[in-house]
Amino acid sequence: MSPQAPVDVVLVDDHLMFRTGVRASLDDTVNVVGEADDVDTAITLVRSLQPPVVVLDVHLPGGMGGGGAEVITACADLLATTRFLALSVSDAAEDVVAVIRAGARGYVTKAISGPDLSDAVRRVAGGDAVFSPRLAGFVLDAFGAAAGDVATGDDELDRLSAREREVMRLIARGYSYREVATELFISIKTVETHVSAVLRKLQLSSRHELTRWAAARRLL
Amino acid sequence: MTERLPLRRPAQGRGIGGVCAGLAAHLGLPVAVVRLVMAALVLLGGFGAVLYVWLWVTVPAGDPTAAAAEQRPAALSRLAPRLRDPDRRVPLTDIGVGLLLLVAAGLAVAVRSGVRIEYSWVVPTLILLGGTALAWSQLDAVQRGRFLAHAGGRTPVSVVRLLAGTVLAGLGVFLLVGQDEPFDVLVRSAVAALAVLVGAAIVLAPWWLRLVRELGDERAARARESERADIAAHLHDSVLQTLALIRARSDEPEQVARLARAQERELREWLYDDRTTPGTSLAAELRGVVAEVEDHRGAAIETVVVGDRVPDAGTEALLQATREALVNAVVHGRPPVSLYLEAGADRVEVFVRDHGDGFELADVPADRFGVRESIVGRIRRRGGTATVQSRPGRGTEVHLCLPTSEGEQR
Repeated sequence: MSPQAPVDVVLVDDHLMFRTGVRASLDDTVNVVGEADDVDTAITLVRSLQPPVVVLDVHLPGGMGGGGAEVITACADLLATTRFLALSVSDAAEDVVAVIRAGARGYVTKAISGPDLSDAVRRVAGGDAVFSPRLAGFVLDAFGAAAGDVATGDDELDRLSAREREVMRLIARGYSYREVATELFISIKTVETHVSAVLRKLQLSSRHELTRWAAARRLL
Repeated sequence: MTERLPLRRPAQGRGIGGVCAGLAAHLGLPVAVVRLVMAALVLLGGFGAVLYVWLWVTVPAGDPTAAAAEQRPAALSRLAPRLRDPDRRVPLTDIGVGLLLLVAAGLAVAVRSGVRIEYSWVVPTLILLGGTALAWSQLDAVQRGRFLAHAGGRTPVSVVRLLAGTVLAGLGVFLLVGQDEPFDVLVRSAVAALAVLVGAAIVLAPWWLRLVRELGDERAARARESERADIAAHLHDSVLQTLALIRARSDEPEQVARLARAQERELREWLYDDRTTPGTSLAAELRGVVAEVEDHRGAAIETVVVGDRVPDAGTEALLQATREALVNAVVHGRPPVSLYLEAGADRVEVFVRDHGDGFELADVPADRFGVRESIVGRIRRRGGTATVQSRPGRGTEVHLCLPTSEGEQR
């Protein structure tokens, strides 16, 4: 993907005011091609347009009440080409975990600035995971990383490796990917690999904290 | 999403009692298949008929989709209640029919056996049963709930107690009534009475269950109502007031931003956080500190907390130092300001980061008390470490690390 071509995005949020705000704040590397305001129209729109990126709110009316996670689940077969970035005002852990486990590639809060959001959209379009500091905090909490519960092997799904934990801690401390790379003397690509690995663990792990959150939203 | 609808008897598309339609919705099968299976079961020695009647009596009527919607997490539901038909009605007719059938059955038995005494046994038993059921249904909700919670049979001990009590009471009654009767007559009448009781219990059980369930529904509805009132009152007291204030001060952007931020934080806390008892959560106290700094300095602080612990003197010092570091970051640094607290098993760590130009600790004049005393000194006296890392172009990061009392004992 050439850096010049703008990324096509579908915006899903039930508040017109917020959609207008996001549209205005995005820079010209991002091109909003469609908007939807509930679960059903979102699914139809995403299926017909198949955009590279869908930015969607966690809480949406309509459908079976599953909100953003339901949209992602309904479009699960498109996940290879269409990536989802969750955008929410909610701080609730189950909301975050619900959309990530449904297949979203990132989670940012609505307080995010326009340039940062555009950056996140580009990153998601490029196949990377986008972690806000808060999401990194959730990950550390959920995987018991603060209690020193660290994986020794690479293939463990239920614990973070020491390096992944380091990366998550730096992101939680407000470091950008670039700053994390500098701090740990590794390349940005390696940081992105670690973050993607953590995202995969978050989606596949059967740690009981995660399954509990998912069960609270009846996702299992 | 593969989620199963709850078992309800829908009003639309029902053949007789809506049992098959409800079962089909619950199991996700076509109605015709369920009906066919049920018909086959009826032919199979009438088992289907018994099952049908049992389900008819025990499964509550209602729309399965609406019932599923009610079980949704509160965050996804609308705040205001929708207008809907009152689907809760007292099954007076059902109870009446049941009682009539019972009386008829009793009379039939009595006539067939041709013994007059039977009347004087069955009729008082029925009266007794009716009276008991009536007395039970008259008990108010709270009392019954409490009684059921105690006698409901959750623990083996309570089951034994209930059984022993029933047997004792039954024995007592028989001894009282049959004082002059010979022993074998006593035993025979006891068996007969027991049989009647068991029969009556089987017949009355479904209605009894329904009674209990409706009670639960009503209680849940009342709880929802009071929570709704609570939310409405809160929204009025805080959010609406703040909006009015914002409108009045729309020409002062600083004030508006401050009001909006404070209100957002308060609402967020109210919506998403578990309300903790004061003095039990370091995370909650940290949020208090952050709120104070944000309000006084008019800046936003991105806060992430991992883990939690009970505050003690050490964490109190840590919070004070954190406050100083935050004020420093907000006043001297540049946004965004990030705060990260990690409460681990053996230590608590705090990182405060800003994106300012940075400064060297050595360059800070000795008379500037801020960093040297209130941050570094405070933490060192508690046996922790405090470092300030400042690099041009990459902002300043204050790192506070305090071993916990549990960690020191190891």
